[in-house]
Amino acid sequence: MNRLRGTISNIEVNGNLSLVTVHLQPPLTLKTIVVETPKTAAYLQIENEIDLLFKETEVVLGTAESPNISLQNRISGTIREVEQGQLLSKVLLETKWGGISSIISSNAVRQLGLSKGMNATAFIKLNEIMLSNT
Amino acid sequence: MSWEPLILTFKLALVTTLILFVVSLPLAHWLAYSKSRIKPVIETLVSMPLVLPPTVLGFYFLIAFSPNNSFGEWLQEVVGVQLVFSFPGLVLASLIYSLPFMVHPIQSGLAGVPGSLRDAAFVMGKSRFQTLIKVLLPTIKPSLLTGLVLSFAHTVGEFGVVLMIGGNIPGKTKVASIAIYDEVEALNYGTANFYSLILFGCTFFILLMVYLINGGYLKKLGR
Amino acid sequence: MMQIRIQKNLEGPSGPMLLDLDLNIEKGQFLTLYGPSGAGKTSTLQMISGLMRPDHGTIYFDGQPWVDISKNIHIKPQLRKVGYVFQDYALFPNMTVKQNLVFALSKNSSSKSIMDIMDIMEIGNLQSRKPDTLSGGQRQRVAIARALVQQPQLLLLDEPFAALDLKIRLRLQDYLGEVHRTYGLTTILISHDIGEIHKLSNRVVSLEQGKIAKQGTPSEVFVGHNLSGKFKFKGEVLHIEKNEVVYIVSVLIHNEVVKVIAQGSEIENLEIGDAVMVASKAFNPIIYKIQ
Repeated sequence: MNRLRGTISNIEVNGNLSLVTVHLQPPLTLKTIVVETPKTAAYLQIENEIDLLFKETEVVLGTAESPNISLQNRISGTIREVEQGQLLSKVLLETKWGGISSIISSNAVRQLGLSKGMNATAFIKLNEIMLSNT
Repeated sequence: MSWEPLILTFKLALVTTLILFVVSLPLAHWLAYSKSRIKPVIETLVSMPLVLPPTVLGFYFLIAFSPNNSFGEWLQEVVGVQLVFSFPGLVLASLIYSLPFMVHPIQSGLAGVPGSLRDAAFVMGKSRFQTLIKVLLPTIKPSLLTGLVLSFAHTVGEFGVVLMIGGNIPGKTKVASIAIYDEVEALNYGTANFYSLILFGCTFFILLMVYLINGGYLKKLGR
Repeated sequence: MMQIRIQKNLEGPSGPMLLDLDLNIEKGQFLTLYGPSGAGKTSTLQMISGLMRPDHGTIYFDGQPWVDISKNIHIKPQLRKVGYVFQDYALFPNMTVKQNLVFALSKNSSSKSIMDIMDIMEIGNLQSRKPDTLSGGQRQRVAIARALVQQPQLLLLDEPFAALDLKIRLRLQDYLGEVHRTYGLTTILISHDIGEIHKLSNRVVSLEQGKIAKQGTPSEVFVGHNLSGKFKFKGEVLHIEKNEVVYIVSVLIHNEVVKVIAQGSEIENLEIGDAVMVASKAFNPIIYKIQ
């Protein structure tokens, strides 16, 4: 499980859903959608410090920094290590906000030519980030 | 050789069983559901004839009902029954003697019925009596049959209590079991064998029917 | 409609226990009693129906005193006209289905209602069968039908569906919901099935050791009980296996085994038999109806 820490800067509520914007230092904005509202979850308060959790298997990797895709949660860094399996590989990305692991197919690693020292960007879908206040 | 002792035996057994059934229903019902503190005492009294020698029962009956004491005299003078050496006396003694054989099967049958059946009838507005007649008794038919047959067979087989209170009056109190004893004493083995064989056959057949019916064998044959 | 204030000393699973209730039940309410076994749920139904006598307290039904121990009032169950569905169905084994229903009919009501009820519960084709030839689900439908024949205002059900398999349970829940609405009943159900409670009841009273621990709507009572919109279950680790760069962890949840992909760092202090929480965002699970 990848874990980053930030501060809630905005909460947009509609029905049971909330779109939560979290600010990280150095400046970076990540967004997540949750089936909670400030009424049902006490941790949903602006200025609250919060952990962002997301699974390694949900992290998409790209070599270009801003391709034309819908994924808006983007974190750039440098590849520190590639651990290759027959089908799956684990790529460790070092970023200014902490280490991020990604599990992608070994085939994709070969196609993109991912290797240690390369620059890469991690993309995470809006609905894949969980919030935790511990 | 005469049929009289046999007829008397079955007459006694039949009368005893029918009266016992009527008496035992409320008694067994009470024993099955009561939480009274005197219940253990009543249960003990009901079971006493199982372990007590029949001669003990017979002896006390003889003492109690004898016209030589005030109770027996009162019975004879005022009520007009003589219980010693008479058929009514035999019936009364048999009732006590066979009581557990009727009460126990019915009581355990009732105790085996899930409490919810009774509760269900109560919440439907049915009285205790209606519940007993419409729900409980039909549910414990095998126990009723067992009680009826055991009481009947047990009365057929009694000896000591009958001898003590009934004596040996042909046509009045000389039942088959006593007749057999008499004939053996007189070395009439043929007659003794005649009575014995019939009792043996009858009791075997009656008990066999109970096991067949309660075991559901007859239903299976019918299919 | 009904005010219950009762106390009764009971033998609980862990020694003597005081059942102490203070409940007001509105007309038309569908109330569920929830709680561990031995908490006093069945005793509560028995005291409401008159099958058990409380030690102290009162029960008023539509202003009528059913129980007032201080005034030595305890109306017999026969006079309370309560519909009661027992956990073991309590069908009379010596009667056919139809006879069971007719037996429940009070003296001066017409037998026409029996036909309607048999229609609703779909047991018309079973009417000449004896209870011991019926399946569990059929028996339960007959038991509910029989309780309805009494035309009760109050229907009590003691874990009616606990012994049935899921598919039949779901169907019977529909029947029960329908008769509750059709006959304008006030219903008190004992249930352990949180799904069933959500589906049927509009009020839950959770009992623990004879006391009311919580009460409210199902959502209020069961918040944090894995139903707040999150996909979150408690389970037990059965097996951990490395597979290429990931680990596959088998977890027993209720009686299903699920598999979860995990990282080395996540399984570092995880051992077989550990209690774990398996969680996902509500977006990921796929839902489809089981036929």
